[in-house]
Amino acid sequence: MSRPIILEKLRRLHQAEEAPSLPSRVPDFPRYPDPVEQFKIELERVSGVFLDGRNPELVRQALERVLNDAKAGEIYWESEDLFARHGIPSQLRDPEAFRRGQLVSSSHPLRQVRLPLTLNSHQYSRQTLAELTVSASSAACGIAETGTILESTAPGVGRLLPVLAPIHVAFLRRQDLFMNAADFFSRVSLGDRASYQVLVTGPSRTADIEKTLVLGVHGPQKHYVILTN
Amino acid sequence: MIEIRPQIRSALADSQLQKNLRLTLSKTAAGRRQAIAEVANWEELRQHARQVKAHTISRLGEYLELLEKNVIAQGGNVVWAETGPDALDFIFQLALEKGIRKVVKSKSMLGEEIRLNEELERNGIEPIETDLGEYIVQLGHEHPSHIVFPALHKSKEQVSALFADKLGMPPTDDCEKITATARKVLRRHFLSARMGITGVNFGVAETGTIVVVENEGNARLSVSVPEIHVAIMGLEKVIPRAEDLGVFLKLLTRNATAQKISTYVNLINGKRRPGELDGPSEFYLVLLDNGRTRILADEFLRQTLYCIRCGACLDVCPVYQTIGGHAYHSTYQGPIGAILTPQLLSAEDAPEHPFASSLCGACQEICPVKIEIPHILLKLREKVQDQKSARAGRLPLERWGLQAWSWIMTSPGRYATTNRLARGFAKMFARKGRNPVPPLSYWTKSRELPVLAPKTFRELFEEEERKS
Repeated sequence: MSRPIILEKLRRLHQAEEAPSLPSRVPDFPRYPDPVEQFKIELERVSGVFLDGRNPELVRQALERVLNDAKAGEIYWESEDLFARHGIPSQLRDPEAFRRGQLVSSSHPLRQVRLPLTLNSHQYSRQTLAELTVSASSAACGIAETGTILESTAPGVGRLLPVLAPIHVAFLRRQDLFMNAADFFSRVSLGDRASYQVLVTGPSRTADIEKTLVLGVHGPQKHYVILTN
Repeated sequence: MIEIRPQIRSALADSQLQKNLRLTLSKTAAGRRQAIAEVANWEELRQHARQVKAHTISRLGEYLELLEKNVIAQGGNVVWAETGPDALDFIFQLALEKGIRKVVKSKSMLGEEIRLNEELERNGIEPIETDLGEYIVQLGHEHPSHIVFPALHKSKEQVSALFADKLGMPPTDDCEKITATARKVLRRHFLSARMGITGVNFGVAETGTIVVVENEGNARLSVSVPEIHVAIMGLEKVIPRAEDLGVFLKLLTRNATAQKISTYVNLINGKRRPGELDGPSEFYLVLLDNGRTRILADEFLRQTLYCIRCGACLDVCPVYQTIGGHAYHSTYQGPIGAILTPQLLSAEDAPEHPFASSLCGACQEICPVKIEIPHILLKLREKVQDQKSARAGRLPLERWGLQAWSWIMTSPGRYATTNRLARGFAKMFARKGRNPVPPLSYWTKSRELPVLAPKTFRELFEEEERKS
């Protein structure tokens, strides 16, 4: 009932008026000689951790660091695409896990990192997902200006895993790094391929009590970004 | 009619509140100044954002229809609501149909505006506020005292006492421990809730994207876990293009919390799509008018609707700094509350709000979309005054006074004579800047009467003329 009433009111109001035009161009946003360095500085400024993963050995070290920090034995992710996309060496993972499509627990000593995986996390209840410690995902892109990554749903990728786990690792390819927010919003068409995208900058935070900063209120408390080639 | 004078008096007498306000507000100012100074073209960004808003507001119907079309194309539903009760009815019906008894909510000023929590409770649905500040306020059966920091009026000791009382937390003055308790309690609610309700910061017409800006991750969880997501949005939140989001986000987050960008910017394009592993199976966008089309009718006042709710005008306002948010006794506080409240309701319902300002102009200076708040305040004061006069007629004394004034001012001779008489009176009664004779002595109790110059301008002018 309300729709025609509201629209009619708005039509009557606007009929006689000349609309001020939309500005033709977006004001300049900063550009950086070294976008990776800028990304790292900004990420660290908001208590995120930047890890270089620009060759397979560096990826291994980065993942080992995450597991060591977390005192965890597993990292969970949803999409197999991640391996090819980020050049993750096959010896770092359990090649059978995706095929089995189940949660795998491992007792591998941390020195020989193997990464048990889950493929179809929707088979598992929210409660099961909520008990996982470390989640990983592939960032669709990043923004150097603010140290931001874009998480995105996709076929085989949902909304829950990266936000429920207290520790999150995002893989970001160097070539997917935008200079600034204006570049991002003018080149990425929102919602084209995903029902949900979220720009993430550092770990979850609040300052709701006396404006005192506390990390990890609802989302992850630790936020890693591994930059790959 | 909302009366705010009694609240203001009790706020001024509340020493704990005064302490809390001083402590927290002092933390914002320096950070914000720096965050703004870092942006070389801050002025250009403000002008850009203002222009986008001005354009959109003057074509609001078209953009809302475009937004609607694009949300529906993604499998979402759009519900138009003329009034608060219209929106509430829709939500109750939906909840009833789906058998929903509990709702997780992320922060929404619009929700406050329509008293969503009270109304949900009255209908047997449990609303859980999940933003930490909102949760604190909800546990204490209070209302938010700030647009961005709802529990700004509370000290950590007060929050700790509240959590100890309501949640059985061992008392602590460690903000991390308090926050961890909230995380644990609220996580349980998230995992068992079937409906999430969020506000909306921007609705992008060309893409049908709903933007929700936050730091905690509670909005992210509210749109990810439950099977139904309902977003409630004021009509004025629509923007035409995605490419302007960079500008709006920069202005919003630097001004609100001195951040370059907030931790999470949720970009929601409807419900879960085929192949996606989870996410809501239903998405509803509620477009709420609730007085906004009325505000639009006035070409000058409509800029009130440019507001992006950064809350910066509250922080810089000397009145807000002194009385806090609750004293305004309305959904929106501070300068923006002083202009929005009488317009959303009516000048008759909130006649005191436009007067809760010293017109210093700090609010307009900080406003990211350059809303001319002091001018709007004056306009609204005029409205209130006109209504008073229309109701009661002008007071006799006021009427005589104005008649006498116009009689004097319309003749140079009468003006000069009056001036001479006034000088004589002033010399007779003013003693060292004080006036000893009532009722004028009341006025000079806390003010100094300026000492008169030995000669008037007219006398000096005549002397100069004679010399030359």
